[in-house]
Amino acid sequence: MSKLGRLNRGETNIDFLKWWKIGLAVSVFLMVVSVGSLLTRGLNLGIDFKGGVSWEVSAPGVTVDQTRTALDAVGEGSAKIQIVGTDIIRVQGPESTPEHTIEVTKTLAELANTDPANISFSTVGASWGGDVTRSAIRALVFFFIAILIYLTIRLEWRMAVAALIAVFHDVLISVGAYSVFQFEVTPGTVIAFLTILGYSIYDTIVVDDKIRENERLVGQSGRLTYGQMTSLSMNQVLLRSINTTVVSLLPVVALLVVGAGIMGAVTLEEFAIALTVGLLAGAYSSIFVAAPILVWLKEHQTKFKVIRERLQSQGVDVAHASARVDLLGVTSGAPAIDAPSASAAASGAAALGTTSTPSGVIPPRPRKNQRKR
Amino acid sequence: MRRLRGYGSLLVIVVVAASVLLYTLVAGNKPLLGLDLQGGVSVVLKPVQQVDNDTIDQAIAIIRQRIDAIGVAEPEITRQGSNILIQIPGVKDKERALQLVGQTAELQFRPVLANVPIDPQSETTTTSGDPAATTTTAAGATTTTIDPTKTVGGLPLDVCTAGLTAEEINATGQAVLPQCKDGLLVGSYAVGPVSLTGSALETARANLGNTGQWVVAPTFKSGSDGIGGFNAVAGQCFSKGSTCPTGQLAIVLDGRVLSAPSINSQSFKADQIEISGSFTERTAKDLATALKYGALPVEFEQQQAQVVSATLGRDALHAGLVAGLVGLIAVAIYMMAFYRVLGLFAILKLGIEAALLWSIISWLGANNGLALTLAGITGIIVSIGVSLDSNVVYYEHLKEDINHGRSIRSSTDKSFVSAFSTIVKADVASLIGAALLWWLTVGPVRGFAFYLGLSTALDLLTSWAYMRPVVKLATRSKALLSRPWLLGLPAEKSQERANQKSANRPIAEVSK
Repeated sequence: MSKLGRLNRGETNIDFLKWWKIGLAVSVFLMVVSVGSLLTRGLNLGIDFKGGVSWEVSAPGVTVDQTRTALDAVGEGSAKIQIVGTDIIRVQGPESTPEHTIEVTKTLAELANTDPANISFSTVGASWGGDVTRSAIRALVFFFIAILIYLTIRLEWRMAVAALIAVFHDVLISVGAYSVFQFEVTPGTVIAFLTILGYSIYDTIVVDDKIRENERLVGQSGRLTYGQMTSLSMNQVLLRSINTTVVSLLPVVALLVVGAGIMGAVTLEEFAIALTVGLLAGAYSSIFVAAPILVWLKEHQTKFKVIRERLQSQGVDVAHASARVDLLGVTSGAPAIDAPSASAAASGAAALGTTSTPSGVIPPRPRKNQRKR
Repeated sequence: MRRLRGYGSLLVIVVVAASVLLYTLVAGNKPLLGLDLQGGVSVVLKPVQQVDNDTIDQAIAIIRQRIDAIGVAEPEITRQGSNILIQIPGVKDKERALQLVGQTAELQFRPVLANVPIDPQSETTTTSGDPAATTTTAAGATTTTIDPTKTVGGLPLDVCTAGLTAEEINATGQAVLPQCKDGLLVGSYAVGPVSLTGSALETARANLGNTGQWVVAPTFKSGSDGIGGFNAVAGQCFSKGSTCPTGQLAIVLDGRVLSAPSINSQSFKADQIEISGSFTERTAKDLATALKYGALPVEFEQQQAQVVSATLGRDALHAGLVAGLVGLIAVAIYMMAFYRVLGLFAILKLGIEAALLWSIISWLGANNGLALTLAGITGIIVSIGVSLDSNVVYYEHLKEDINHGRSIRSSTDKSFVSAFSTIVKADVASLIGAALLWWLTVGPVRGFAFYLGLSTALDLLTSWAYMRPVVKLATRSKALLSRPWLLGLPAEKSQERANQKSANRPIAEVSK
């Protein structure tokens, strides 16, 4: 049975308990890098946040040096000049008078051999970007509170807390990526960061819903620790997570590659980079951040603590998920509880890998539970 | 008929989507493009000091008049908190528009040499009848010859909508200036040189006069720059001398005559002047505001000004559309590779959502002036993922249930119940986010939030009304049921095997 085939049936046998430890290391590393970079390098803020004037003109064949020479004549020799996209020249200078702005516009039009009407420019007061950011942060705080309340009602507070920590993790890493690579932060980027919240929450809710469905497994049978059950749930929703991420990512990557890369629409780039980073972080965090935090919170609950301790006292390996998945899935006649030795755990993955019996781990719900629609 | 139960919503949603799309196409509604897509000027003004709502509203009214004066199509002027957002699409003379907005215009007092009242009714019909002709006569606006029968007071018919040139507005010598009401030319005045500017005024207010009519009472400053200057020109007008043969004094703002009261006295006291006429409360207050502040009731600081060239805007729109299309094709291939016929249904679901979304956006564009911006397009592209996520959640649930031994038929309904519960939870979380962003943020973030929220709501609707019945329909089809791979679903396990399996499963055996 190929790995992909098992993935397709939600029968993968990944020991997420082990991977969470690696995930923890990765997340901590990324967050430390993000915070470190934010503190030392800071963010490359666009003029929307600092105030200033920015011109953009499509000027095929004109070089940065030519532009600088031309702008020297109107006192903008020290302006930041970039070629963005394929042939768009972007000039950014400090705040100035409207008359001066127009003078520069005319100079650029001459340089690009075009009409001044074909030049885009924007002037921004220093407080504008601050207003945008402040209102975004305010929205963010309200969003956190609202989601916390909503998820507490619909799911439970532990899941809500875990989901929010995951979201916070995503935003921190995404902002960190902007700092490390010194991408320019624009209002578009702020929008994209806000979208990341939505994605991350969406993914986490899908996973949490599955965990809740499986919670009975732990509560009723007492044969799995909460962590093992969560790992099992992860395996079951893995394809779902991958597919939702792929279908979300494809349009965004198209935006980045086709829109911004090939067609040179720089404004699209602002959104697309942040969205791509955030989507990947969101998919990762719902599995590697939200879930382990949930497990950690849950295993402090007396109910699940008792189960865990009982299993431990029976000599069952609670540190790995594969042992229990194996235990549930084996088709050998002997009830697995008779063979709780460590060897079962060691050979666990291999045993399942070779068995040809498709093993739905959860029994079908009893008929009587079927609701009439 | 029982077989058709549960499919009603499918019929309804398909019919609704098709008919609103048809209506949109027939009515010729198209999404209103934002400035970043069609080019134009956008300015954010922030008051320098704290002001109340009325002041902001007054300022908006004045800014609107001034932008109308330079003649651009449909300026969009909105409040965002205490900020004013001005968006002028497709304006040609962008630099002037930028300079004019928020700049303190000069109020002028000029003696009227001659005036020609114009019946706005006859003027409208001519304008709409021959718009090309009116553009060509634009140059005639500078002429001082008054020939009411042919040139309508020496002014082009569309002067109130097309506007005057900067030279005409700033001219201090003799000029022919229009009086406009609601964008229609109601009068033409030949005026003399500027006698006095707004700086001569101390203040002005509107109140009810002795006769119960609304009057405007300006108060002049003292000295020769104030009431002295006013009395000098008032004297000329009262005696109907050669400099002021009509006896009227025009109050001019931005090259437009706001009012041209007749002077009824040789000289005035600085605080005992009344301008009366057929004022309503509204027009009296407007004139008083104009007199008082010259242009704006409060000083504004230009926070952000953006000029997007039509080419760059078009390029961005083009790139956004192509990128969206490529992304769409990519997800279509992926979904169909994975879920075959069910994947095709997912793409059709996008089609239904797109038809509804296009119609809603077009309708809002035509009726509420809601423009589709680049941020909005990004929101929509992002929502492709949101919509397909719902399908993935459902389909995966379906596969799981079938793998656990249920028949495909019995799985469709049951899986939908639990999958839809997940979808609702996730979508509602997105909606909460979108709503909060929309309420609490400014500028481009709002547009994005609106479209994201709208498409999420549409996803909820189509998931229930379309996805549920269409999958049910497919799994009732014998041709598809016998070939589950066409649906991207695993084969049903035979009942015996399922029984045997559960018998072997230790978890089912060991009971505590």
